[in-house]
Amino acid sequence: MGLVPDFILDWIDVSTFWTILMIVHGLLAVALLGAITHQAMSVLAPVRQMADGGIVTRFRAVQGAGYAAAVCVLWVVVFFFGAWIYTKYRMYVRIPIETQGFWKTQGVFELKEHLASIGLGLLPIYWLLWKDARNPEFASARKWLTVLIAAMVWYMFLTGHIVNNVRGFGS
Amino acid sequence: MSTTTDVRSAAQPSSLATSAAFRTFATVVAVTAPVIYVICEMQNWPLFTYHPGTNRFDWLYAPAVKDQGPAMYWYGWTVVMLIGSAVLGLLATLLPERTAKRIPLALVWIVPLASVPVLIYALRFFWRW
Repeated sequence: MGLVPDFILDWIDVSTFWTILMIVHGLLAVALLGAITHQAMSVLAPVRQMADGGIVTRFRAVQGAGYAAAVCVLWVVVFFFGAWIYTKYRMYVRIPIETQGFWKTQGVFELKEHLASIGLGLLPIYWLLWKDARNPEFASARKWLTVLIAAMVWYMFLTGHIVNNVRGFGS
Repeated sequence: MSTTTDVRSAAQPSSLATSAAFRTFATVVAVTAPVIYVICEMQNWPLFTYHPGTNRFDWLYAPAVKDQGPAMYWYGWTVVMLIGSAVLGLLATLLPERTAKRIPLALVWIVPLASVPVLIYALRFFWRW
């Protein structure tokens, strides 16, 4: 049934536990997606003239450095919950997906897990590049690493949705 | 009002953020982690194997046991990546600062980006029509 601490089952049933975990994982992923997207936009299209900017201008006119620690913490927490859910996924989602022959669906999920792991290794330098944001030597690496991490988060978020649509809640 | 939005942090960088040793460590971790992970995935070298059907762990690679469900290696690959890249990062801090600064910072995004097509190729089993 996946890894579920016994004491939790004194309070809620197994299905409720996994549902809560999945919803928390999804909500934290939304927060991560929002933070990194703001930050990526702020480096890809920095605002030079605030003047009377509209919603798009305000979206990219954020202080990117202020998001770095939050992105790192959210990545680790979302990763932890995702890795926990994966114990259930492997038994009750992946096997039916394979049985039904949805190979490409499983393939895109496999890539998601690879990106999530590799992202862990990028967090220390990502944090450093933003914490010393006034260092001009870091500007290019900071910009492209942030864009890469944003692309990874978008891919993982959408893949999670696709897999949930194939065999998630209610299946 | 003229601003650039990407570097407008008023806060001074922390001592960790200005530490040359931490910069070397973080750079080497970012460059080596994707390489180690890709090698572990393609060679199937996990530090441990988890069997979700029975909640059992085995050291290194262990095949799935008949009638006891699948075996999971992803956790084991990830731990190898984290330990391996951290050890290499720590060793790199022993290098002279002048040598360590020669590591191009661009590698921290180029190497993980380059690992993606390799991983897609490694997943070719799933790309069937």
